Amino acid sequence: MVVFILPFLALWTLFRLGPVLYGIVISLSHWDPFGSTVFVGGLNYLRLLRDSRFWEALGNTFEFAILVVPLIVSLGLVFALLVHGAQHMRWARVVEAALFFPYLLTVSIVGLVWRWLFDPDFGIVLITAKQLGLRLPVFLNEPRWAIPAIAFATTWWLVGYRMVLFRAALEDIPVELYEAAQIDGARWYTMIFAITLPLLRPAILFAVVLTTISGFTAFGQVLIMTQGGPGRASEVLALYMYRIGFDYLEMGQAAAVGVVLFVVMLALTLLAFRWLGYGTEL
Amino acid sequence: MRRLLYALGLTGLAIVWVLPVVWMASTAVKPTPEIFALPPTWIPHQLTLEHVRVVLERWPFLRWFTNSVVISTSSTALSLVVSIPAAFAFARLKWWGRDVVFLIFLASMLIPLEVNVIPLYFLMNRLRLLNTYPSVFLPIAAMPIGVFLLRQFFLNIPQELDDAARVDGCGSFRILWHVILPLSRPALAAMGIYMFIFTWNEFFWSMIALQKPYMLTLSVGLRALQGAYDIDYGILMSGSTLAALPALVVYLFFQRSIIRGITMTSYR
Repeated sequence: MVVFILPFLALWTLFRLGPVLYGIVISLSHWDPFGSTVFVGGLNYLRLLRDSRFWEALGNTFEFAILVVPLIVSLGLVFALLVHGAQHMRWARVVEAALFFPYLLTVSIVGLVWRWLFDPDFGIVLITAKQLGLRLPVFLNEPRWAIPAIAFATTWWLVGYRMVLFRAALEDIPVELYEAAQIDGARWYTMIFAITLPLLRPAILFAVVLTTISGFTAFGQVLIMTQGGPGRASEVLALYMYRIGFDYLEMGQAAAVGVVLFVVMLALTLLAFRWLGYGTEL
Repeated sequence: MRRLLYALGLTGLAIVWVLPVVWMASTAVKPTPEIFALPPTWIPHQLTLEHVRVVLERWPFLRWFTNSVVISTSSTALSLVVSIPAAFAFARLKWWGRDVVFLIFLASMLIPLEVNVIPLYFLMNRLRLLNTYPSVFLPIAAMPIGVFLLRQFFLNIPQELDDAARVDGCGSFRILWHVILPLSRPALAAMGIYMFIFTWNEFFWSMIALQKPYMLTLSVGLRALQGAYDIDYGILMSGSTLAALPALVVYLFFQRSIIRGITMTSYR
């Protein structure tokens, strides 16, 4: 038995569990790049609580998550239903492939492309809007609109992934249920609300949790699209952690942000397991 | 008629969805004045590979590509090698504490790498691994998702096959090798595809672990195109297009298996 589990266990202990514990140790000390490390107890956490920039970043992260989670989950569901409804057409596969494709692009491509699309002067989005007579905000230059713009780009990037997972869940629903409903004269919207959505509940809940987790740790698209700006209007937690650690070299405080994020993620995970009754099947 | 409208609607949606990619590619091959021309031109009037040339000349772009390939292949291979036996131990062997250990793995599965970047940086620094390939692929290969996925698949293989093999005198190793693995090709492929894509696209940790200009991966390197000069969209979009090209080509050929692979890795 040991031989089978040992390689993975070693890797996991060293590079997953280890860093979590190590992170707690670092967060409890003051790290001097040129000198020694001193144990300082909860000082880093105290400084975090007193840092208004931390609270701003937390607020921005919440704002981002509140936008991106419903957008990705609901659009993912709608796309899945649309493609599923056309599954007898060969064409549906092409459509599905197109909607999924952005997910295969790396985050820096997504960031760069959307930065270009939203460019204040020459971006095609604002130019097209002007041609159509619409007055849109200059997304990336306005504090209020930077996060929504990043959330939109993120949705474009990830919604295909959600769609594909929902599609698989849709395929698990027995066709007989729909046939029976049809015989009873149900319309398509009744079927969606009476059959599809209730049966997809676990898949939807899980999607909400997973998207929340990825929303809370968003980094690359923010760094590339706005660098956290204008000002610090779109500085999210991961970016704050990075800057505190690698620009200000406050590694202890940065590690504390990591620990806070870890606790939130773990809580979300356990919550999801409870909802879905994971662990009971073991 | 309704079916036609439905198909048209879907097609419209798909076209809108790929427009950003089309615009990226179109910008990449336009001469600079045309990039800023008003009204904008979707199909370039004039084609140029000037920006592509600049990207390939000024930055070690092909080296970045190689780095990405090596790192993604390594993490995929390593995670398969360690996850297969672990998943087998969870699905088929009985041992003390098995369910507790599995539950802990499961709980750690959803914790993203991003949370650990600071301690990982210290750890890799101590191990003298910063700016090397292993600094990126080791932590990724340690993700439990593969173990979870393969265990799930192994559980669905009838236990009778194992029992029959045992009666014939097979040990656990031979059962894994001769009975389980040949039946698990779809799961192995799914996991491999997932790991490869995940590693290829990883950004935050790679950016911290790899600092030397030519150790960068494509994903991280693209950011360097942005920093060096004023925003030059021709260069940025050529870089992006070049970086997206491999994914696009592979996708055109293996679209079905990629989508199926991604679907299988979901823990519904």
